[in-house]
Amino acid sequence: MAVKPFKLALAGFSAIGLAALAACGDAPTDDGGDDNNAEASFHACMVTDSGGVDDKSFNESSWAGMEAAADENSDIKVSFKESASETDYDPNLQSSVDDGCDFIVGVGGLMTANVDTIAEANPELPFATVDGLSAIDNVYSVEFDTAQSAFLAGYVAAAQTETGTVATWGGLQIPPVTIFMDGFAAGIEQHNADKGTEVELLGWDAEAQEGTFLNSFEDTAGGKSTSDTFIQQGADIIFPVAGPAGLGALTAAQENDAVYAIWVDTDGFESTEYGAEIITSAEKGLANAVRDAVLAAYDGTTGGEYVGTLENGGVALAPFHDFDSVVSDETKAEIEELTQQIIDGTLVVESPSSPSAG
Amino acid sequence: MSTETETPAPEQPESAETTEPRPNFMRLFGRYLIEANSVMVTIYSLVMAFFIGAVLLIVSDEGVRSTWTYFFARPQDALSASWNLVYDSYLALFQGAILNLNTLEAFRAGDVEFGNLLRPLSETLLNATPLIFTGLAVGLAFRAGLFNIGAQGQMIFGMLGALVIGFTLNLPAAIHLPLAVIAGAVAGGIFGAVPGVLKATTGAHEVISSIMLNNIAALFLVWAIGSQFLHSETKSELVTKPVNETATLPTLLSSFNPSLRVNLALLLGVAAAVFVWWLLSKSTFGFRIRAVGFNEHASATAGMRIGATYTTTMAAAGALAGLAGAALSLGVGASGITTNTALEYGFDGITVALLGRAKPGGIVAAAILFGALKAGSLSAQPAVPVDISILLQAIIVLFIAAPALVKAILHLRAPRGGLVTLEAKGW
Amino acid sequence: MRLELKGLTKKFGSFTADDDIDLVVEPGQIHAVLGENGAGKSTLMNMLYGILQPTSGEILIDGEPVDFSDPGEAIAAGIGMVHQHFKLVGPFSVADNVQLGREHTRFAGVLSAGAARRAVRDVSEQYGLHLDPDAICEDLPVGVQQRVEIVKALSGPKTELLILDEPTAVLTPAEITELLQIMRNLAEGGTSILFISHKLKEVQAVADTITVIRRGKVVAELEPTASESEMASAMVGRAVSLQVDKSAAEPGEPRLEVTDLTVVTDAGVKALDGLELTVHAGEIVGLAGVEGNGQTELARSILGLLKPDAGHIAIDGEDVHGRNPARRIKAGLGYIPEDRGRDGLVAEFSVAENLVLNQYRDAPFASSGVVNASAVDRRAVDSIAEFDIRTQSPDESASSLSGGNQQKVIIAREFSRPRRFLVAAQPTRGVDVGATQFIHSRLVAERDTGTGILLISSELDEIYALADRIAVIYNGRIVGEVDPDTPREVIGRLMVGGRLDDETDTADDEADSGPEAAAVVNDAEVETETETDVETSTETDEDANGGDR
Repeated sequence: MAVKPFKLALAGFSAIGLAALAACGDAPTDDGGDDNNAEASFHACMVTDSGGVDDKSFNESSWAGMEAAADENSDIKVSFKESASETDYDPNLQSSVDDGCDFIVGVGGLMTANVDTIAEANPELPFATVDGLSAIDNVYSVEFDTAQSAFLAGYVAAAQTETGTVATWGGLQIPPVTIFMDGFAAGIEQHNADKGTEVELLGWDAEAQEGTFLNSFEDTAGGKSTSDTFIQQGADIIFPVAGPAGLGALTAAQENDAVYAIWVDTDGFESTEYGAEIITSAEKGLANAVRDAVLAAYDGTTGGEYVGTLENGGVALAPFHDFDSVVSDETKAEIEELTQQIIDGTLVVESPSSPSAG
Repeated sequence: MSTETETPAPEQPESAETTEPRPNFMRLFGRYLIEANSVMVTIYSLVMAFFIGAVLLIVSDEGVRSTWTYFFARPQDALSASWNLVYDSYLALFQGAILNLNTLEAFRAGDVEFGNLLRPLSETLLNATPLIFTGLAVGLAFRAGLFNIGAQGQMIFGMLGALVIGFTLNLPAAIHLPLAVIAGAVAGGIFGAVPGVLKATTGAHEVISSIMLNNIAALFLVWAIGSQFLHSETKSELVTKPVNETATLPTLLSSFNPSLRVNLALLLGVAAAVFVWWLLSKSTFGFRIRAVGFNEHASATAGMRIGATYTTTMAAAGALAGLAGAALSLGVGASGITTNTALEYGFDGITVALLGRAKPGGIVAAAILFGALKAGSLSAQPAVPVDISILLQAIIVLFIAAPALVKAILHLRAPRGGLVTLEAKGW
Repeated sequence: MRLELKGLTKKFGSFTADDDIDLVVEPGQIHAVLGENGAGKSTLMNMLYGILQPTSGEILIDGEPVDFSDPGEAIAAGIGMVHQHFKLVGPFSVADNVQLGREHTRFAGVLSAGAARRAVRDVSEQYGLHLDPDAICEDLPVGVQQRVEIVKALSGPKTELLILDEPTAVLTPAEITELLQIMRNLAEGGTSILFISHKLKEVQAVADTITVIRRGKVVAELEPTASESEMASAMVGRAVSLQVDKSAAEPGEPRLEVTDLTVVTDAGVKALDGLELTVHAGEIVGLAGVEGNGQTELARSILGLLKPDAGHIAIDGEDVHGRNPARRIKAGLGYIPEDRGRDGLVAEFSVAENLVLNQYRDAPFASSGVVNASAVDRRAVDSIAEFDIRTQSPDESASSLSGGNQQKVIIAREFSRPRRFLVAAQPTRGVDVGATQFIHSRLVAERDTGTGILLISSELDEIYALADRIAVIYNGRIVGEVDPDTPREVIGRLMVGGRLDDETDTADDEADSGPEAAAVVNDAEVETETETDVETSTETDEDANGGDR
């Protein structure tokens, strides 16, 4: 008896499915081109860090760079392999080699050692490591001095706060996260020193390298409650360094009047729906860097090092967008000047997690 | 039920009805095939899971889906595209899990060495190893009527226990490695005993307490890795110190090829399965576990100490899960573990135990199947999304857990003695 | 109504549950169907009530063939059934339970409480059932709940035939007496009754005619004048002696001394209230009482599963305070639990494993933590032979055995190890005549070897058959210790809280001995009949046995 409903359901499912697929359409007359450059001669492969390729964080940004490279050059095709944990790095890298990839990108500093090992075993192949530094000849290192952009963000936060208290919190206590927090703290200190303010930062002690971490990059609800706590303690600008979990800070800002946020990695005005809450963003040009690395590999470049800085545009402070009229011209001029000083090298933003240090 | 003088035996008269004088083997075998016994239900579940997986593969592939839009205009496009997709996908899984036919060809041509041929199997067995332990951890507790959801947490503590012994001590390998493995088992066992003690003393349900302890373990792991004691001295990422060479599990096949990662833990896992089998079927402790699992009231009346049985069984289960942790931190994670190293092996152990019907042999087989799915799906990327292997696991378990569904869909006969369904008490 | 069954047959696959049954129930007749567990009684009744459909044969009502596809049609045709397990909604009132499924309504479906109450009162008065329509069912004693079931069955549109399936299994002796009287009243009023039972005395007392079935076949048609051993022999298929051969006891030193034992339940009720009891070597003390008066708690306290709140238990002269069950068992305490399925056996375990369930760690069954399978097997083979356990092999699971054989496994387990004192709780519950006979003789033989035995039974017949001394428990206390030749009604009164010296004034006793007292209806005829001899009970619990459907 239990068979009938199942069969009915199956039949119904198929019928609906077929209808939805509009199975009566016309057959294409020609063999139409494939948009993924199927016939391309150069195959660039990416091995993700844990979290999946759609992690709204560095895996996703790196993949966007890969795709951008394929868009730019139709002789490049790209693919990725996901790692569930670091124990998957080796087999994924190895099978990328076996699959005949022409360029292999490993995402995440933790994979650098694995990339090094396989690169040594395959000296004729070009590799790249994102967020890591390699000493191997055929490995291209991609790093970012995000302390620089976060420094500017911290300066803006100190200039814009009404309560004199701002806050930051991170996803996990790992260098790509804490480097933002270090730069942010340094920017606030700069403002306090230059302008005689006493803006206080909650959530990160750069001296002790201790602060508030969610231990997750996905827990949006946790991000919101952490932000709410800081708001209760008087913070009116929140700087979440936690990928998608940071969205919790944006909803908290939306629910509280006169509380705003500064976003990380991408320009939050464009990448999120909370543009009205975001004063600015400390951008990290991951996608551009990866795209450039792929294109360079296609041209035959092997090895080398790239550090994204304010100077080369690898990191930047995003436009103010809605807050353009809110941020004073004086502050804008000071930001301009600080940027120049950092590029000149007259001002050095330091973090224990900086590429130069690690 | 009947009196002793008359036993209704449905199986006897069957032969009376058949005209043949003796039962034909082929007929009996054919009958077995269409019966919803546990072996055939498992086989049919696998087949059906792969069938549904195929449907989902077709639906999720944009290119193939587009050929269905003009199905009536040119059906051969849709059919051949679908067939090719399913064939290629499952072939890719097979190549990643068992034998890569391309490598075989290259080996025949003399381009690659023999070791390369073994890599898919090595990966399958490597992935199966922690699952054997966690499957046993769940299965053993199951036999005592306990639903051990806490294998994940127990494994995490086992991982940390083995790691600490692994990097702090400097001993010859012959002592250091066994010591580190035992440390993993002890740490997991102590953590595993907690829900047992809570149940024995306060009646707290082991499912609730072990779920909570899993969360505690997961967050403790994050904190512990970040602590100065464990954190790597050379890497800035959230990763621990590596274990010493002397405490690292030796690989079994790396003499063929250094990329063959399967290690001694596999043999420990098989040994553990044999031990659990022996424990359950031959030892007085196993007798007590089974008796309490089936009927705690009768066991108590027979003088068995129920609370003590719960505690010791959970400790033993925790020790097994702890060994899974040791296999990770002394094996693939020997260069340092992260918050991701443990993956979901503890939770997958529940599935493995269910598929293996809580029997050690079945658990080993189920662990190897799941290990193969993981190895296959990892290597079949990017052609096949990793999610498909997770999906296949889920569907297989769904069917195994609901044999009545399989029986109904395929019109199977009812087996003698009824359908076999695994049930934990208290649910 | 005249009911006739012609060649009624029911097959389940290849198994024939009922084979060519012919049976006639005349109007106003009480027709007893007697048979052991699994004889096909319940299948027969289920066919009559439309729950099962016959494979062949026909049912005729007043000469007209009928065909019931569900109970509704049987009810419409005038058949009412009282199931062994009551189907009442506990929190509902008597009137609501009776009208359940055919509610008395006014316009627009509004329930008419008055009509429902009146209906109950009418039927109840007509047959002398004394039911309060407003009482809440779950608060009522079991016997009264059964009367609610009877009223419910009689309240069908035109109920003329009542099927009573093992109606006395759950009743106290007094309630049984009362039920038999109700049945007689109903028959006099013209209702035909089909009375399913395996209790010889009740059948003898109330039936007009008796049909005995065995293995699905009618094997005898008897008059109520037939002797009990005639009936038993027909049921079992061989000559059965209902007499337990027993010499006078020779009590020795005390083996069980219970002093001032008090157990307070989690609900704060005193299940045992200063209980005092002594059992000597070589005697069987029968503990009589209505179930739920502390028997279970006493047995569990003796084993050590319950920690008493006050008082002492000494086994073999030693205070066992603080000793766990395992130590007590090892010291020679035998224990036959009242609930065989729950406490006695691990159903999934093999017969062999169950036979060593409380000795599995002892030599020769195990050494240094390893079970010695061949020793366990040897014991199983020996026990199966000695105790006549009917099983296909020692490796069969205990659940595949019949109730009687399951009980024999427990008896064999307890009797195959050194023992000094035995608690036997409901040792023949759900066990057929043959096995009962066997178990009783083993218990007496055990007594004769010098073991002290505490026999806990809700069956007075069993107590009378075996006990050398009878202690009556009521509300957690021993309210009287009497000789086995004490008349039944004296013990019956003690069981519901009366006093020994009340013997002369029955009416007063009924008035002041609590709610159950009202249930005690003396029926001289039954009493004289039941007093005659010391006989075995053949009490069967279909539930414990899985039923024979």
